[in-house]
Amino acid sequence: MSEEIVILGKKYSSKDRVRADRTDKLYEDIPEGETLLKIEDLNVTYRTDNSTTVAVDNISFDIKKGELLSIVGPSGCGKSTILRCIGGLLQPTSGKITIGDKECTTAGSDRGMVFQDFALFPWRSVRRNIEFGLEIAGVPKEERRERSTRYLKAMGLEEYADHRIHELSGGMKQRVGIARAMIMHPAVILMDEPFGALDAQTRNILQHSLVEVLKNSHRTIIFVTHSVDEAIYLSDRILVLSKRPATIHNILEVPGERPRERAAPEYAELRRKILDYLESQNTIF
Amino acid sequence: MALKYDEHNKYHRLARTGVITVISLIVLLWVWWLVSTIIQKTMDFNTSPLATPGEAFVALFDFFNNGDPIEHRSMWSWIWSSLSKFIKGFLLALVLALPVGLLMGYFKILREFFTPWVEVLRPIAPIAWAPIFVIIFQATNGSIMVVFVGIFFPLLTNIVFGVQKIDTKLLDAAKTLGASRMQIFVKVVVPSTVPYLMNGVKVGLGVGWMCIVAAELYNTTLSGIGYFVKFMIDNASYDYAFAGIIIIAVLGLLTTGVAEYASKCISRRMGLDA
Repeated sequence: MSEEIVILGKKYSSKDRVRADRTDKLYEDIPEGETLLKIEDLNVTYRTDNSTTVAVDNISFDIKKGELLSIVGPSGCGKSTILRCIGGLLQPTSGKITIGDKECTTAGSDRGMVFQDFALFPWRSVRRNIEFGLEIAGVPKEERRERSTRYLKAMGLEEYADHRIHELSGGMKQRVGIARAMIMHPAVILMDEPFGALDAQTRNILQHSLVEVLKNSHRTIIFVTHSVDEAIYLSDRILVLSKRPATIHNILEVPGERPRERAAPEYAELRRKILDYLESQNTIF
Repeated sequence: MALKYDEHNKYHRLARTGVITVISLIVLLWVWWLVSTIIQKTMDFNTSPLATPGEAFVALFDFFNNGDPIEHRSMWSWIWSSLSKFIKGFLLALVLALPVGLLMGYFKILREFFTPWVEVLRPIAPIAWAPIFVIIFQATNGSIMVVFVGIFFPLLTNIVFGVQKIDTKLLDAAKTLGASRMQIFVKVVVPSTVPYLMNGVKVGLGVGWMCIVAAELYNTTLSGIGYFVKFMIDNASYDYAFAGIIIIAVLGLLTTGVAEYASKCISRRMGLDA
């Protein structure tokens, strides 16, 4: 059924053995640390019957290959909107999003996504959720099995392979969500407040797991969060947005190798700086 | 007292429900007996049209052993005749409502176009079609068509509703995993509609069972449990008519029970009960 897979608008037959996990090969010529994803003059304007609201106001930024970029900003500023545009789930009003030299207009498996409320398929087992993308791409069953086993192991889900989604805890569910996105080897993984629905302890454990996974396999990640601590713990760079309509306030480098010490004094100043700005942007008071 | 009802004990709850149900049914039989006896004593009938429970169960026993009192056709052949029409009508409704409902749910333009049709046709009592269907399709197929109409609309509306209620996050997830519109339809839309489909089946089976009996009462199929009741009443064998009514009740209960059970199993299998 799925004899063809589309990568960045190009069609490949599965006979060419161009598989979803080889998408990253298309960007192999881009060296680590160079610009992979470019967002230029992104504007999102919502129209209702009698008003227009500018949600995102001409934002431009780059994502480097292999980095983890966090986006923080006051509540409702349009963080998720930006992410949905990059994922191809929302058509921007104007602006351009390019990976390498290819423009992204629709959703595709080269931009994986992890959702706040997991968005797992409840009628599939854990393993079959993780294999969904491979199944879509027409990867044969034995190969799917072999690869999903690798990701089940990496995420500590081995013994839950045949469980149904509703039998899992929130933390376990998001492990499945992350594995499902990673198995496709997308050029960039978009995480939309992935740990936002979890309790504080589970969140810490998952943040740590993510750091561990990234140690073994380099990925490019855009991570939307409302937690400054989470952003500092995980990111190479933090993009700070203003209140709606979202504009870029600042892009900050976070020094130090991961894993980092939580609440380390060296980050206190950075933390204060971001928090003060967010507070100044708070529209509730 | 050693026996004390414990709300948190599964067997206690089960026993409670069982005991109350049995008492309830006994009281129902008693009310039936009371009403039928009063009518027999006070009204001037040769044979009362309202048989007592005793007469009805004696007739039912005889029907079971010796078939109907006039043609001696076996009870099972009468029942099977209704059941086979019922099943055919149900399958026809399922085969048509499934694709039509899925497409109407998925494509807005189809939904907008066909919704007025559904809204005009749906409120018509299925049995109102019986006279026309019997002329067009003959007695047996006419009854099947009445069942079809009765089951089709609950199925259709539930499926359309189910497709629209789909969690858009699941569609987003499928898109970012590279699924085409067709793949999303097959691998996400169809499975997530299953619980709604099963709900439609539950409602539809109840309506359908009423339809088959009503259609048989109306027309001249000369077969089926509905016709049996009419046949016995025309013959003034009211006790046998009530035996037929008991069979209708039990079979209706069984049909909805089976649908309920199947729906539960499927929902659990699909991980959608939680």
